[in-house]
Amino acid sequence: MNETLLFLIPLLPLVCALLNMVFGMRLPRLFTETLAVTGVAGSCALTLLFWDYATEGGTKAVLFNWLDSGTFQIAFALNFDRLAAPMTLMVTGVATFIHLYAVGYMHKDADYGRFFGLLNLFVFAMLTIILADNLLVLFLGWEGVGLCSYALIGFWYQKDQNTRAGTKAFLVTRSGDVFLGIALLWLFALTGTLTISEINALAQTISPGVVIALTLLLLVGACGKSAQLPLMTWLADAMAGPTPVSALIHAATMVTAGVYLLCRLFPLISLSAVGMTAITAVGALTALYAATCALAQQEIKRVLAYSTMSQIGYMFMAIGAGTVTGAMFHLLTHAFFKAALFMAAGAVIHLAGDENDLFKMGGIGRRGPQELFWVFLASAACLAGIPLTGGFFSKDGILLAVFSHPDPLYEFFWLIGMLTALLTSFYTFRLVYLIFAGRSRGRNQPHAVSRLMRWPIWPLTILGLAAGLINLPAFFGGQEWLHHWYGKLAGQTLTPDHHTEWLLMIITSSLVLIGWAVAHFYYRNVEKPRLNWLAIFLLQGWRTDRLIEQLLIRPFEAMARFCALGCDRVLLDGTLDGSAGLAKSWGVLARRLVTGRLSTYLSAFAWGFLIFIGWFLLRLLK
Amino acid sequence: MINTVDTLPAFPWLSLMVFLPLSGALLCLLHTRSERDCRWLGLTVAVATFGIAIWLFLSQQPNASGWFCVEDIEWIGRFSIRYNLAMDGIALVMVLLTTFLQIVSMLLAWPVRRHVGLFFALLLILESGLLGIFLAQDLILFYLFWEVALIPMFFLIGIWGHNRRHEAALKFFLYTLAGSLFMLLAIIGLYVIHGDQTGHYSFLISDLARTELTLRQEYLLFGGFLAAFAIKSPLVPFHTWLPDALSEAPAVGSLDLTGLLIKTGVYGLIRIAFPLFPNATSECLPIFGTFALVALFHAGWCAYHQDDIKRLLAYSSISHLGLVVLGLAAWTFTAWQGSLLLMVSHGITTGALLAMVAMIRQRIATRNLQKLSGLWAQAPCLSALFLLFALASLGLPGLANFSGEILVLIGTFQTRPIWAIMGIAGVVFAAAYMLRLIQRVLWGEPTQAEVADLSPREWLILIPLAILTVWLGIYPATFLKPLETPVLLALGGLP
Amino acid sequence: MIVPIGHVLACSAALFAIGLTCAVIRRQIIMILIGVEIMLNAAALAFVGGSAFWQQVDGQVFVVFLMAITAAEVAVALAMVVYLHQRKRTMIADEFNRMSG
Repeated sequence: MNETLLFLIPLLPLVCALLNMVFGMRLPRLFTETLAVTGVAGSCALTLLFWDYATEGGTKAVLFNWLDSGTFQIAFALNFDRLAAPMTLMVTGVATFIHLYAVGYMHKDADYGRFFGLLNLFVFAMLTIILADNLLVLFLGWEGVGLCSYALIGFWYQKDQNTRAGTKAFLVTRSGDVFLGIALLWLFALTGTLTISEINALAQTISPGVVIALTLLLLVGACGKSAQLPLMTWLADAMAGPTPVSALIHAATMVTAGVYLLCRLFPLISLSAVGMTAITAVGALTALYAATCALAQQEIKRVLAYSTMSQIGYMFMAIGAGTVTGAMFHLLTHAFFKAALFMAAGAVIHLAGDENDLFKMGGIGRRGPQELFWVFLASAACLAGIPLTGGFFSKDGILLAVFSHPDPLYEFFWLIGMLTALLTSFYTFRLVYLIFAGRSRGRNQPHAVSRLMRWPIWPLTILGLAAGLINLPAFFGGQEWLHHWYGKLAGQTLTPDHHTEWLLMIITSSLVLIGWAVAHFYYRNVEKPRLNWLAIFLLQGWRTDRLIEQLLIRPFEAMARFCALGCDRVLLDGTLDGSAGLAKSWGVLARRLVTGRLSTYLSAFAWGFLIFIGWFLLRLLK
Repeated sequence: MINTVDTLPAFPWLSLMVFLPLSGALLCLLHTRSERDCRWLGLTVAVATFGIAIWLFLSQQPNASGWFCVEDIEWIGRFSIRYNLAMDGIALVMVLLTTFLQIVSMLLAWPVRRHVGLFFALLLILESGLLGIFLAQDLILFYLFWEVALIPMFFLIGIWGHNRRHEAALKFFLYTLAGSLFMLLAIIGLYVIHGDQTGHYSFLISDLARTELTLRQEYLLFGGFLAAFAIKSPLVPFHTWLPDALSEAPAVGSLDLTGLLIKTGVYGLIRIAFPLFPNATSECLPIFGTFALVALFHAGWCAYHQDDIKRLLAYSSISHLGLVVLGLAAWTFTAWQGSLLLMVSHGITTGALLAMVAMIRQRIATRNLQKLSGLWAQAPCLSALFLLFALASLGLPGLANFSGEILVLIGTFQTRPIWAIMGIAGVVFAAAYMLRLIQRVLWGEPTQAEVADLSPREWLILIPLAILTVWLGIYPATFLKPLETPVLLALGGLP
Repeated sequence: MIVPIGHVLACSAALFAIGLTCAVIRRQIIMILIGVEIMLNAAALAFVGGSAFWQQVDGQVFVVFLMAITAAEVAVALAMVVYLHQRKRTMIADEFNRMSG
């Protein structure tokens, strides 16, 4: 087989996306839907087919030169290696189920061509990020993901709020991209290449100070896409989009792009201890911040959004602690159970009669199929980290890595991680209780949940529960398959003693159980939200939106007004109009001389002549 | 270097290309009775000119110094003014852009109802002038074409413009004329100095470049040229004529103005001001860079504050041109290629956006962002293409502007990292104002009753533009290749 | 030359001054024209004087030209005067100020 065929993996969704966008509305609905699902499923099948290419250091495929200017040579090139392969499989696999779910979820929406086109385009962009051989192709996917999230969040564009959320997502992530862009320029100036493997190979030659700066730049770039502090404000609002979009973009794939980027460039960033600490700090703080925000949210999808943010914080902590395996492991498990959670949440919202508010739900399980409760509970258990679920293993691995890091500062991060685990368990079960416990508080009529909206949740839930198997620690008799698969790319290997491992596990498990108990105590029977100032503060996400508006948006708009009105209209146009006016008034003055009377002209002529003569005479006399 | 040409085409293709539109214009003027004939004549001539340009692109091979074809005959012997047209890679790319956009203009001008013959004649004269600017190697010839291109635009704005057209036309005309008079002065000054020095009087750029000048003389003459080029480009703070002229011009006028006419300013810098005064140039580069950054940010902010789409696009053009000049000021091969590529892609994307503004205005009779809303619900095809061009304009990778921008930034970072960092920050501004534009125009509840989607003529205008937008984004090598030799030559003369 | 050149020139200058004064002060178009004629004659006188003084014929040739011009000028001017009179029924020069800026 030819390795150029690897391009089929991303191009298949792209072709389907273009077909759906251009012809989607002229084709029968079934055809569009089939096309969309086939595109992604086909790409998933191709990934499995080409799996062997990923072994032995991966395979590169070059399509053609994209940019070619002197020393700056960038090709459309893919690198299907050990880091990319599992991620590709996860994205295409999860996306296939989400597409199927979307077929059910959107079956009444008239604008299906655009929806499925964008969904496919999104998968294409994400695959481009994953498979990119050089940073510029990665950047292509990076921005493509931003665009698709923009268009999909604002999919129901008639409501201003939705499109504003989309715009916010695009702008915030793009501000992060500026830093990524700077890192990209700098890396090219330093190494003369943007190929990721070459950069990683040359990383040793870069001076340590520069590496710190580069790591921080990459971190901010990753923060933008992965909704980490301080660029996290867009994610919660992004829930304005249709639920399949939330599942696809804001749980399983797009937000993990930042994590993936850092993993990709791990050999570079791991050279700077300061940078690694910064990454961990950002991750830890975001994990805690988002978990506190999730405590007080009243909308089901916003809770999930904040939980995503928090879990990605864990992944950042893993990278900061030096374990790529830990980050990727959590990324994979999280993708499974979070996608399942979002899909189940979509079904819940349907059953609640398009009601998002948790306090108007309650007893949802009795309104529809009983299985919904079980899948939701199972996925929630993964999120909370109930022992032996996928989420438990991956989170535990991260906390272990952070704990065993030699730097004392990391113990502090570990504490934050533990606290977050407690909070996670609490808000997750709060969510479960608010949705399913007690009697129904809402008045809306439930919509039917079609079969297509139910069964794609199952495989994901099972994957989430069983995902621990892909990197089962030796402690449980596992082989740590993922860690061995990554090989050289895996970051540091952890060899903790069993004593520590036991201790940590008992602590985390008990924290999770405490969280459950507290949630059970408070939210078993709740009628109305208790709103004190703290709850409101958390509900508004620590008022960061307000802060950003005051600090950034207002000054930006004021500056815009100043430039447009003060500078251009008044200063520049004023100067121009002023000089034009001056010339005009001179004209008016000079016009007075022209009286139209012959005698005036003649006498002026005579006087002029006399003066002339007089001047000559004076010259003669001298 | 022009004299060492070995591949002289026997047939004067360049002259044919330059004067074909002019003769078409004469025919249009003579035959004003039938509006239909005028339209078809204009379109045919534009297509034929484009055909010649494509033919030259495909058939001619550049010689060692990068010239595709040259025509050189004596014109006014007494002052040793020569009729000298020549085309290298830079000129070729600009010629391709010009001839292509003129076809778009002709199609866009189809619905014009008043004085159709005159309108098309002016468009064709404009095309001749622009092609002449890009091809002339003799400064007097260049100046002549420079003014020839100015006059039709004055009438296009003044006759077919909107409410404040007279004011805007006058501002445009006086502003640019004032600049070009300084240029004329500098041309004559340089001519005299060169003649006194060598005893051989000439207006040829290649001859004049060999003049020995003191730094003071260089600065004075450079300033003269700069006045013309900075106003035309337009560089901040000489830019205020553009928003006025653009917002008052008819659709076609604004397309030609931003797509082509303002490019002549930058082209003049590259082709004339830089090679003639290398020392002054290298001294002034930091100033250029600073002004370019100021333009990038200032115009970005201004664009964010506009409510008139055309004014917004005018400021976005100024901002993009700032990036172009930044690339030139960085003085590296990659940045220059990027700048030139960005000029082309800006011409395509902003031209397309302006064309679409005209289409929207035909349907809804407003360009005010506060009054527009929810176009997607009523005209999805139009809206989708609008979105495509707007995204290209904000620099989405894979679409036209990104290729140029990234080359400019990569190239700039090699010599001036701080500029590149600020430049990349300025690119976010494009996202801010473009997203605001999209938000207001496409999304939201539709406010107007019925809006028709694209007509066949409009499809015909937009599809080639869309294809080019993607092409430039994915495979810019087509346009980068011919730029290589001339850019290397242009940069070789300087430290 | 019997008359000294100085006298001729003085006479010419005086005539010119008289003509100029007449042209400037008088309001009637006819009188202004007469003033102009007197100035022309003063110039002619100076030419003749100069021609006699330097024994050069050029001055006299010029006077012949001058006479022709004067005749032509008077013819045109009087025609215009008649026309102006018909238009405005007046001969006062200040009435014709349409060229005022």
